[in-house]
Amino acid sequence: MLLFRSEEHVARWLEQRQMKPGSIFTVDQGWSMARIWYGDRLSPEYRRPSAAEAEAIFAKLGLGGDFWKLSAD
Amino acid sequence: MLDDFDFDTRVRLHVYYHLLGSGRAPSPAETASALGTPVQQVEAALGRLHDAHLLVLAPGTSDVWMANPLSAIPTAFEVDVGERTWYGNCIWDAMGVAAMLGVNATIRTPCPDCQERLLVRVESQSLVSADGVIHFAVPARQWWYDIGYT
Repeated sequence: MLLFRSEEHVARWLEQRQMKPGSIFTVDQGWSMARIWYGDRLSPEYRRPSAAEAEAIFAKLGLGGDFWKLSAD
Repeated sequence: MLDDFDFDTRVRLHVYYHLLGSGRAPSPAETASALGTPVQQVEAALGRLHDAHLLVLAPGTSDVWMANPLSAIPTAFEVDVGERTWYGNCIWDAMGVAAMLGVNATIRTPCPDCQERLLVRVESQSLVSADGVIHFAVPARQWWYDIGYT
């Protein structure tokens, strides 16, 4: 996951590498995800979220569709 | 405090706090010494933690590469907290360091396209300034195929 100056910079960087676009989101969304994902990482009780739980977190942040899908079905 | 928790959790947290305190990951021998246990048991625990995606070992070794969101080696995602600097594995992880520690932080990383330095500032667990947009190249279900490239 990389931070770019703008979507124009993302597009140019992808084109130069002949890469397909992935998913673009705002730094605000990234910060929200970082807080949810890592906020309790130093807790002894921390456990990894299941695929369904992770998908629910993504959906809550407005990150949906096949790109953010983890489960097989 | 950690005596009440299972061995793998104690190993995991020792790795995190050692990395936070010293800026480098502990060797299996150092963790074994700290926990008063044979190094083989620590290496087995590190293997289980790696398999469970609770940390990442350098390929073919028992050396910790990532204790997400922290990177045990310098990266382009610097997280400044006061006089200290830690490294994230990506921009999400860099912000994750600030979230995990609950501290004010400045994240510095170059735009991969133009190399201009971009800054993200977190204060009181809120984003107070942020440059740019985030791009995820790899779909979520493929992250762990090659966690060094997402």
